[in-house]
Amino acid sequence: MARITKQERRVSIILAALKLFSEKGFYITTIPDIAKKVGMSVGNFYNYFTSKDALAKELIMYISEYLGKSIREINDKDIPTEEKIYEIVSMYFNMADERPEMIEYFLRVYLSNREVFEDGCEGMLCVSAFVTEMMMFFDNGVERGELHNQDFFSAFGLFMGYLGGMVFLFGEKILPEPLEWYKESISQNIYNALKTR
Amino acid sequence: MITKQLIDQIEGEASIFFDIKDNVVDFATIAFPHFRGIESILKGKNALDALVITPRVCGICGHAHLMATVRAIEDAYKNAGYPIELSKKITIIREFTLVMEIIQNHFKWIYLTIIPEVAKLNNSTKVQTPLKGAYAASIASKAIAVFAGQWPHSSYMIPGGITADPTNIDLLKAESYVDELISFFEKESIGVSLDAFLSFESCKDFNTLKSDFSYLESSLMNIKMNEKGFAYDRFLVIGTHTFSKPSKLKQTRPFSIDAKYVTTVDTYSPDQASYAKNAQYKNAFYETGPLARAMAGNLKIVKNMHRRFKDSAYTRVMARVFEVATLLEHAKELLSGIDISQKSFLKSVDISKITARGVGVVEAPRGPLLHTVDIKDGLIQEYKIVTPTQFNIGSSTKTNPTPAQKAMMKTTQDEAVFIFRTFDVCSVCTTH
Amino acid sequence: MHSKQDKKPSIIWFQGLTCNGNTHSFLNLENLKNLLDKFEILSHPSLPSTQNFNTVLSCTLECDIFIFEGAYDPLMKRNDTLVSKIVEYYAKSTKHIIALGSCASFGGLFKASAPDRNSGLLFNEQEKSGPLLKYESKVINISGCPIHPEWLAYTLHMIAKGREVEINKLHRPIELYSTLAHHGCTRNEYFEWKVDADDFGEKEGCLYYKQGCRAPMTHSSCNKILWNEVSSKTRVGTPCFGCTEPDFPRQNLFATKTNMSIPEDVPIGIAKRSYLTMAGIAKTFHIKRLEGKLIDYKTAD
Repeated sequence: MARITKQERRVSIILAALKLFSEKGFYITTIPDIAKKVGMSVGNFYNYFTSKDALAKELIMYISEYLGKSIREINDKDIPTEEKIYEIVSMYFNMADERPEMIEYFLRVYLSNREVFEDGCEGMLCVSAFVTEMMMFFDNGVERGELHNQDFFSAFGLFMGYLGGMVFLFGEKILPEPLEWYKESISQNIYNALKTR
Repeated sequence: MITKQLIDQIEGEASIFFDIKDNVVDFATIAFPHFRGIESILKGKNALDALVITPRVCGICGHAHLMATVRAIEDAYKNAGYPIELSKKITIIREFTLVMEIIQNHFKWIYLTIIPEVAKLNNSTKVQTPLKGAYAASIASKAIAVFAGQWPHSSYMIPGGITADPTNIDLLKAESYVDELISFFEKESIGVSLDAFLSFESCKDFNTLKSDFSYLESSLMNIKMNEKGFAYDRFLVIGTHTFSKPSKLKQTRPFSIDAKYVTTVDTYSPDQASYAKNAQYKNAFYETGPLARAMAGNLKIVKNMHRRFKDSAYTRVMARVFEVATLLEHAKELLSGIDISQKSFLKSVDISKITARGVGVVEAPRGPLLHTVDIKDGLIQEYKIVTPTQFNIGSSTKTNPTPAQKAMMKTTQDEAVFIFRTFDVCSVCTTH
Repeated sequence: MHSKQDKKPSIIWFQGLTCNGNTHSFLNLENLKNLLDKFEILSHPSLPSTQNFNTVLSCTLECDIFIFEGAYDPLMKRNDTLVSKIVEYYAKSTKHIIALGSCASFGGLFKASAPDRNSGLLFNEQEKSGPLLKYESKVINISGCPIHPEWLAYTLHMIAKGREVEINKLHRPIELYSTLAHHGCTRNEYFEWKVDADDFGEKEGCLYYKQGCRAPMTHSSCNKILWNEVSSKTRVGTPCFGCTEPDFPRQNLFATKTNMSIPEDVPIGIAKRSYLTMAGIAKTFHIKRLEGKLIDYKTAD
């Protein structure tokens, strides 16, 4: 069996922690719980992360970079903004479907426990990769004359708040249909709300 | 026979077409050839862009254009129901930089234009010192730059105030440039203290002086410019400033005025296309500029000259020199009145909310400068500029000549060209 | 007749469609006399000249340096002589051609007087298609509206010393146009930490985010070689309007063009993604010293 590198071990901690934090909640999950899930000693865990808070910040950066990378791939395509919106919605819903812990963590831990992220993770610090990519998306949409030029946060809130809300409803099992079923209409709604008037 | 004479080394270029009879000018028409179309360039632009474009009408008095624009836009704000109240600090600093631009202009005119020209007419071999004018002008420009960032082509005045927020260090710097200018003026130009010069009441007081000024004064007398170059003996000041008061004068009698009576009419220039429209007040020609301002401001020494020599070329030139003196003193007063704790800028509604007409009137170095702007949703629909040279020079018919045309009549052609220059011709402004 | 040794380089300063702004800016040069002493001024719009203007127009003179101020209008005439003829004559016979100011360099403001016809001497905005294409190697563009007198003085001194003035693609001297107007701006700290100027009339804040400042996108030495030896636009709170660039004058000069609050143009040479990442992070830190008033004067009673 191949030796597991330190980096791979680090990622496995991140993935395990993501699952536990989003299932059990941030405060209830302990470091021993996480160590147990990855099969390492508590002492060894501290070789990777100095505290639970440090791990929490690392997780949000991991998610932000994952999202940023996915959106960048869409941004780099030479397709109309309307199609890009569909692709971003689709990517987001697929992620919520296949890796619900990522979105769950973002919504239930990052946004709900601000005190954990106050120091060193405030503002754009941990979510820069994701927000920057959304800025690139909006900037390009306006430059192409396809989106209405307005305040960034008005547009960002409409786009991401909508998606977050749908994933929340999905997580609460309130949605009668699978997420997939909503992709088309939601993309259309977002485009209609943001397009050039 | 009509002879054409090109006038260069003015601001831009002009042509005079002389009709000489019995060795004197029977009549002359004037053409300003180089049209630039600033008014049409402005059409459709954001009204604030005019603050950048109009100073570029003219390299020597762009600051006056900037102020006319800012006044016109602020007037439009008022007419749209959003009056702008300026702090005293804003008003003073704007006045100060405008005053320094006028001083800069006059120094150049004295040393680069009028002294060399008067020397020519006197067949004098006096060594010319044109760079004195450039030096003094550069010091005045430094004083402007303290607040305006640069000169020429600053855009530091904006509706609601100025962009600068000066410190005491800036004020002291500006004061020191003014002091430098005053000592230059005393030592090189007039040969007597500024206070003494300003207390002169009669031309006899000049007799003791030995300076560039006394050379200019005696040379003008020598070629009898006190008996030539008469225009209408009617004067017009329209801009409201701390250093000038608006009025219309017929000889020495002042009347109240209103900028709405200013109109422009086509020029009469049969020999060459001219892009200068004539400016009139209630359909009559008036002389504008330093002489008009001195008459309206009751400046004793100029009034005295006027009593003896009327609106001759001599009086016109002397009034310009005296304006340097009065403005230098005024510049000091202005600076001492600045309270730096006051606001530099007061925000009003966005320009896109403004749909109105605004008029801005300023006393530029050569007289009233009028800008009229029609704004719709913040965009310029129409922009109209009337410049002082359109009042003073223009070109009209023999039966109704402009002030400059009238002043050139019955003189020799060389004298006429000199008299033409006593109006301090700005062709670039005129052909905006 | 001068001997070859003490013959000073001769200058003809000629104007096309202009406001005289470069002429007047040049007169502000410190130690103007020192510079003028090194040259023979055959013709200048306001300084004493050894030749009269009509002789210049007759196209019989020779000069070492031909300075052209203003936009080039092929139909313009100076005292009945076509400017195109005069420019062609001197361009051919002179050693150096200086296109002085943005109008002469690229068309500038007065290109707009007749947009289909007017241009700079060598360039029409960005495009190298002006009337002096044939004499390209002689042309130095000193752009700016107006030029700073030191920029011209530098160029003339180099020529007088027989040294080469190195130029870039837009034919501008590299020593003057390699830096940006941003370089040396006293508001740089606000740019670094992304602190916007709330409004005009303040010492504090950067003018790039809202007030339309083009300094990070404009090649010039305005904040290095100060104007009138005293200041610069941005130092007195006026945004840079990009007057040295081929696209001057742009539109909406007092507002930053943004797409969904994101600046459309970012500093030259920096990828927008990198800029936004850096800006977003810098904005996160609230630095008290930069957010408050620099100086609080006691209000006079």
